[in-house]
Amino acid sequence: MTPIFEKTLLIATIGMAGIFLFMAVFYLLIRALDKLMPFQEKKPAEKWSEETATEKEEEEP
Amino acid sequence: MNTLISLTDNLRTFWSYTGFYNAEPGHLIMILVGLVFIYLAISKEYEPLLLIPIGFGILVGNIPFNEAANLQVGIYEEGSVFNILYQGVVRGWYPPLIFLGIGAMTDFSALIANPKLILIGAAAQFGIFGAYIIALQMGFAPNESGAIGIIGGADGPTAIFTTSKLAPHLLGAVAISAYSYMALVPVIQPPFMRLLTTKKERVIRMKTPRVVSQTEKILFPVMGLLLTAFLVPSGLPLLGMLFFGNLLKESGVTRRLAETARGPLIDTVTILLGFTVGASTQATTFLRVESVKVFAIGALSFVIATCAGLLFVKILNLLLPKEKKINPLIGNAGVSAVPDAARISQSIGLEYDPANYLLMHAMGPNVAGVIGSAVAAGILLGFLY
Repeated sequence: MTPIFEKTLLIATIGMAGIFLFMAVFYLLIRALDKLMPFQEKKPAEKWSEETATEKEEEEP
Repeated sequence: MNTLISLTDNLRTFWSYTGFYNAEPGHLIMILVGLVFIYLAISKEYEPLLLIPIGFGILVGNIPFNEAANLQVGIYEEGSVFNILYQGVVRGWYPPLIFLGIGAMTDFSALIANPKLILIGAAAQFGIFGAYIIALQMGFAPNESGAIGIIGGADGPTAIFTTSKLAPHLLGAVAISAYSYMALVPVIQPPFMRLLTTKKERVIRMKTPRVVSQTEKILFPVMGLLLTAFLVPSGLPLLGMLFFGNLLKESGVTRRLAETARGPLIDTVTILLGFTVGASTQATTFLRVESVKVFAIGALSFVIATCAGLLFVKILNLLLPKEKKINPLIGNAGVSAVPDAARISQSIGLEYDPANYLLMHAMGPNVAGVIGSAVAAGILLGFLY
């Protein structure tokens, strides 16, 4: 192996490792984001008030 | 008699300035190439938004003229109108502006919903480094090899940005090669997708991605910018603008700016970029053995990138439980030809299972490929610039 080819291989290896590292960190950040702020479907206001009202009625003797 | 002699001299001078007098076989070959680009764009609809400006640019750049007369009409003549417009390519102004527009039109939801797809976008970058090694073995200098390798990212603006820094003399060949192969993605990728996958793998159905909240969509570009800035600062001009454009889109309060970035701005820059890149293929500077080699390595880099993406999914599937397996047909989308590569995943998938819609899944690795190729460009610039 010539020194130039060795250097090329080294750059290619470091390059690919760097890309995978970057993407792996990105992956972990997205997972963290999902854990910290999980998606919650917003209930429509009317439906919520109806449900609350029903619950209150049920609670009353 | 004197008047007649003078008239003859004038006509002779006029003739020496015409295209017919200065035409060489190279000009005619390049004009033919330009016409083929225009034909492919109109007739086959291969990337018409790029191939029409590039094709017409090739025609304009190859109109023969008396280069010694300093007419200031050629793209390489300092001070000419085309030369001024070309500075956006040479100095690397256009690619970040294109990335701003791409960011403003890209929805990263597919990636956020299934983040492991981001790794496919990393694997496909083997195309860049594979081509880099091949170019070096074919006798190109390290900086030239880096510029040629970036063709494998299947990303025109990234290829132009990197080449303008590493090997400006190869700009025309690299840009034309990158855009040509991007347009030919529907022709290049399918045979390798069929070759490297089994019928059983092609019908794998993936789970519908989860819904992504607005907060996640807003935080994603901010996180992306900070990660880029700290890990690969040399990729900042491209990735910084990509994430900026995406924040304009997702913030919900800058709709006008987002619409300008993904509409009039990206259109204007695409016209200027495509036209000037086309015009830079002047036969006298473009038609060389080097350019042919660049085209050959460019084709190989696309093949390597496609195969790397497909094989990576197959390897990943060995580690995943049955219900989470990934359809390897989305592996080709790891290259950043958005959204063409993802559309190919969809169309090949539909051939084997008419109810299996892979487009939304393929968009994940596809947008990851845009990020991955820009990171690769940053790494190459970090080593070779």
